[in-house]
Amino acid sequence: MTDIIKLSALVEQIQETIQDRFEGQSYWVAARIMNVKKYESNRRCYLTLEEYEKMNKKAEMRSVFWATAYSEIEKFEKITGQVFKDGIEIICRVKVRFHQVYGLNLDIVQIDLAHTLGTLELERQQTLDRLVKENPGTIQLFDGVYVTYNNRLPLPPVIENIALITAPNSDGQRDFRQEIAKNKHQYTFSVKEFLTTIQGDNAHKMIVEQLRLIEKSTVPFDVVAIVRGGGSQTDFKPFDDYELCRYIATFQIPVFTGIGHDRNQSIADLMAREQKTPTKVASLFVEHNFEFENKLIELKISLFETIKRQIQKTKERLENAKRIVKLSSPRAILNRGFAIITINGKIITDPGNIKENAELQTILRDETIYSTVTKKSKDEKRTDL
Amino acid sequence: MKKELTYNLAFAELETLVDQLEEGGVELEELPAKIKQANELIKICEMKLRKTSDEAEDAIKKTINLPDK
Repeated sequence: MTDIIKLSALVEQIQETIQDRFEGQSYWVAARIMNVKKYESNRRCYLTLEEYEKMNKKAEMRSVFWATAYSEIEKFEKITGQVFKDGIEIICRVKVRFHQVYGLNLDIVQIDLAHTLGTLELERQQTLDRLVKENPGTIQLFDGVYVTYNNRLPLPPVIENIALITAPNSDGQRDFRQEIAKNKHQYTFSVKEFLTTIQGDNAHKMIVEQLRLIEKSTVPFDVVAIVRGGGSQTDFKPFDDYELCRYIATFQIPVFTGIGHDRNQSIADLMAREQKTPTKVASLFVEHNFEFENKLIELKISLFETIKRQIQKTKERLENAKRIVKLSSPRAILNRGFAIITINGKIITDPGNIKENAELQTILRDETIYSTVTKKSKDEKRTDL
Repeated sequence: MKKELTYNLAFAELETLVDQLEEGGVELEELPAKIKQANELIKICEMKLRKTSDEAEDAIKKTINLPDK
């Protein structure tokens, strides 16, 4: 009869063999993560690492992030702006471990972030290239700047009606509304909310759905604001979706994004007008209206200055006429040393009417002189006075 | 009823008188009457101008709250 050994003895041998071979060593592997189960409270994450060739699975290993490596997942989400979830291809450093009860496992100790970032960037660039290639009339690239139909739409002089796309009860919703409500100029805005989820696999479709509702609305919206708060919301991917970005780029109402990501811009940001945070989008709307009010005040001031100048000019002309009239009065003439000659109270303007022996009254400023003409002669040499 | 003179009409009339006075085209005997007429026109113009100026100033005050300098 064949020797029978205890299971534990066999398992021990397996463990020893594996330990001998893999102890103290680690390996960088490229794999797809699946069956991800995160337990944030005790900082563990169970998953499988899988490898596919075309559609066929070539390998699969149970894997785990222990508490000591859990921060790698947090770092991954923060830096890549992507949720650590099923279907993502990663490169990670693993250690092979065998447990007598739980069997063979890979302990993941590190994630290659640079690789993930590179992959994301590549995908992003492919989407951008496709947007430009397939929409030549509405999306163009000039000197590294994406010029779209939407981000070139002129803004109305005053923004009044705002369509707000955001998640219900989110930080973004609250920040945006607060900034609008407490604006220092006390402008009033009409904000209509289009609530939707803005993270997760279907977020991009839901956002497009809200844009469609805005399009159909009877409210003449001046602008659309798509906002999202920071915090733990890290899934940036919906905003890199081709369909959503194309929809934004060709949308009829100017779109502003405040989807808050420090590291880089989403494609949606590039297709619209980007303001980073919900607060910044709201304060831009307020400032836009303040600029308009300023222009209006300037215009009024210049209008009234023109009126004032006109009145001043008219006054001056009138004063000039008044001065001439005053100088022309007989009193003013007498004051300047001239005299008026009358005969029997009739003013003499033609000296030919004065005969010898005529009795003249010469009226001067303060007195009248009575005289008799004794002699007359033509004043031939008189020059112009 | 005599139509009320507009500022422009009154001023045009005044200017004609002023031109005559300046050029010496007024007989001395007519002078007092012309001066009187001119002074009446000046009075009308001044009244209308003051009214317009006050109204404009009122409008300015009412329409804008100028920012404090």
